[in-house]
Amino acid sequence: MTAIAAERYTGASIKRSEDPRILTGAGRYVDDIKLPGMLHAAFVRSPLAHARVLSVDVSAALALPGVVAVLTGAELEAMTVPGPDALMALMGWAGPTPQFTLLATDKVRFFGDPVAVVIAESRYLAEDGCDLVEVEYDDLPPVVDAAFALDPGSPPLFANLGDNIARTHSRHEFGDVSATFTNADRVIDFHIDVHRHQNVPMEGRGCVASYDAGLGVMTMHAATQSVHVTRIAVAMRLGMEQDKVRVLAGDIGGSFGLKIGASREELAVAAASRAIGQPVKWVEDRGENLTASGQAREESFDVRAAVSNDGDLLGLDVQMVVDTGAYPGMGAMVPDIMEAMLPGPYKLAAMGFESTGAITNKAPYVAYRGPWASETFVRERVLNLIAKDLGLDPVEIRLRNVAPRTDPPAVMVTGRPLAGVTSKESLERVAELMDFPAFRRRQAQARAQGRYLGIGVATFIEAAPGPRSPEGPSGPMGLESMRLRLEEDGIVALFTGQMPHGQSHQTTLAQIAADEFGVPFEQVRVVVGDSDVVPFGLTGGSRSATMTGGVALHGARQLKAKVLDFAAHLMEASAQDLLITDGNVWVRGDPASAISVTEVAERAASGQFGADVDAELEVQATFDGGEGGWSGGTHCAIVDVDTETGIVKVERYVAVEDCGALINPAVVEGQIRGGVAQGIGAVLLERSAYGEDGSFQSATFMDYLMPTACDIPRIEIEHLETVPLDADVNFRGVGEGGMIVAPPTIVNAIEDALSPFGVRIYEQHLPPARILELIAEADPGQ
Amino acid sequence: MDITLRINGATCTGSPEARTTLADFLRDDLNLTGTHVGCEHGVCGACTVIVDGRAVRSCLMLAVQAAGSEVTTVEGLAPDGEHGGLGPLQQAMWDSHSFQCGFCTPGFVMQATAFLGAHPDADEQQIREALSGNICRCTGYQSIIDGVLLAAQRNRALRNRER
Repeated sequence: MTAIAAERYTGASIKRSEDPRILTGAGRYVDDIKLPGMLHAAFVRSPLAHARVLSVDVSAALALPGVVAVLTGAELEAMTVPGPDALMALMGWAGPTPQFTLLATDKVRFFGDPVAVVIAESRYLAEDGCDLVEVEYDDLPPVVDAAFALDPGSPPLFANLGDNIARTHSRHEFGDVSATFTNADRVIDFHIDVHRHQNVPMEGRGCVASYDAGLGVMTMHAATQSVHVTRIAVAMRLGMEQDKVRVLAGDIGGSFGLKIGASREELAVAAASRAIGQPVKWVEDRGENLTASGQAREESFDVRAAVSNDGDLLGLDVQMVVDTGAYPGMGAMVPDIMEAMLPGPYKLAAMGFESTGAITNKAPYVAYRGPWASETFVRERVLNLIAKDLGLDPVEIRLRNVAPRTDPPAVMVTGRPLAGVTSKESLERVAELMDFPAFRRRQAQARAQGRYLGIGVATFIEAAPGPRSPEGPSGPMGLESMRLRLEEDGIVALFTGQMPHGQSHQTTLAQIAADEFGVPFEQVRVVVGDSDVVPFGLTGGSRSATMTGGVALHGARQLKAKVLDFAAHLMEASAQDLLITDGNVWVRGDPASAISVTEVAERAASGQFGADVDAELEVQATFDGGEGGWSGGTHCAIVDVDTETGIVKVERYVAVEDCGALINPAVVEGQIRGGVAQGIGAVLLERSAYGEDGSFQSATFMDYLMPTACDIPRIEIEHLETVPLDADVNFRGVGEGGMIVAPPTIVNAIEDALSPFGVRIYEQHLPPARILELIAEADPGQ
Repeated sequence: MDITLRINGATCTGSPEARTTLADFLRDDLNLTGTHVGCEHGVCGACTVIVDGRAVRSCLMLAVQAAGSEVTTVEGLAPDGEHGGLGPLQQAMWDSHSFQCGFCTPGFVMQATAFLGAHPDADEQQIREALSGNICRCTGYQSIIDGVLLAAQRNRALRNRER
């Protein structure tokens, strides 16, 4: 042994171990699974937003050769357990709880609501069968918007609720709201709308359910963010014991919050497999995905802001209404997070927050990357509107209001300490990078030539995982578990409940564990996607960097200690004197003593040791998030608005972000850019559109416009890594920030571009036609 | 209907129904599941394969229309004798951290393969336009564009060395 290298993977853009299979077409997505005897499902869906189901005639479909079964809502109801959204039940939701079935029985509640499922020998035949199912409907008045839903005269969608309230009105006050508004120099008020748009992963939902009647075991091959949450949902709705349900997942083609647990359709497919006794596959097509998988964000806000003449944002008072769609779940719960996060990094003295959730005849509201993002949109719009009123610069007003970094840290008016938040630093860095005075000169010159450039800034913080609070003994995000094992062949195996669907966990967690344990990156294997094998976990909420990165670090440390204890027997040395580097165990100061980790593993597996030697080289580790901390940053965009066509071009986009210590910079930057692209799409292109009759009008990619390589600019990224809070784990989540802060960044820039027209913007969706309307409606005198 | 075609250099026969798309034929009949189906209406480009030298959306082409053609799928890009190996474009995309979830990947790889074959000296804007018919929801595209640019640059360096 001459050189024992101390290579460090953490912090380097290590190439992804996922890529060789993905780049060669060898990834294994749920639609790639074929099981012997596998049948295919297709759903009959409602062509109406709201109607009574009078009859379902399946006889013609059943007569079609190749069709094996047609199950109606009533038949499925008899073989499953009705109830609320599984996620709601899991989260212990205590509000209004509509009880519903997997497929519509008495009535349909949105355009695309599944009514029956046809099981056939091929997907083609299953769709043929769907065409032959005759459903007789009796129209009911559609409840197409929240305002009508909140009207006591609107027809209730759910029989067990007397109205269409998914979340009963609540009001909470923090600080002295009344005094703050009374004493403010000025109070401004306005209404802000955020439009419905959606996740649109390139792979839609899907599953292959395979029930073994002999064993009584359901195996679900799923596309999910958590095999365990899916397992719980299947067990709950199929009335099975959890240990009789096994959920497997391979590669997953994106999700962004959509694929949590199991959807009604996936549960229906599982029930169908159990009823028929053969495996059944269902993979939704794009029309189903856009129409029925779920949508997000349709929220409105009545905002009052108390402001000083110098530009201090003293207080906010916000009334929020969320349109949860039919079959409420996440939408009913999301206002709680918005309330907590609305103050952002700013030193508000007081805040009032009211919220109500409305059930409507639209596809259900689902979690979408940064589900609470609209609070950032509202707050960052408010600051710009105030700045405009007072003639302040957008960076200046933010620097004026941002809480200074103090010890102990400032506390959000809603309660959480702003420990380690670097909003001020990110704002200052953005100001340096963008050279605002130079931009203003260029803007003036361009305007003189009839070109309208604008600059927009927005700041956010994200609780990823959030700060540790003294009264939170289990840490900022609960506990994360991991099983780690030194396998007989010398591989360090990490078993995690994270279910990566683009996040690169098989790379990043291996980087951390390789460094901590002392083996080459290639010697670590990250095992995911089998509920029988991995501990409980969920990929979501930007939790994995801190929580799973942390448990990988601490778990690898524990496993290493255990391996060294065992190696001490082999090497006749004290464990304290042993090191592991580059895959070798050696006695400190004596490189010639080195034996490979693989040899240690082989010896441990040999069974040559007595009961007094612990040769079981496995640990079960947990991590509570340590000191936690915030992610955050400031983004800035320059846009060029063509006032003839209404087309907005993003000329430059800069992100200054702080997600603590970087595990893999290329992975972090991919997360930021992807989120920003979704935010740009949300503002300029994407909208889940419903007609006045509740019909869905954006069921193809010709109607639901996705950003392409020509719409998204190069995104310049700088990292701040300023404040370590924890002794070991300072990685923070970065998955959601781009999508949270890009919409206000872009909208602020567009408003700035259109300021010569006096345009004020109180909405988020700004396609070309809307830009032209805003210009036409504006009062240039403003 | 019985058809014969060449796929990834090998002669294949099959009997797809007239309505079977080329994408479904490749995936279901030939087990070439590297070709992904993302929208089934020709917008997202995930199902892109190369037919007789041109990038084609296999969700919009019927299998029977490909009779007699030479089809290349992502599985056909591995260098000779290297099962599962990466071609130069794939290698450049790996080096550039081009992708995240990987679902759109085969379509981008095939589209870029066809485009670079015809336009080896393309600049960034031309590459963006050539790939603007493929949708990726994860990356914001920059890493993909960088991968294609890197492949083009390496290819140019190789050509210059051979000259």
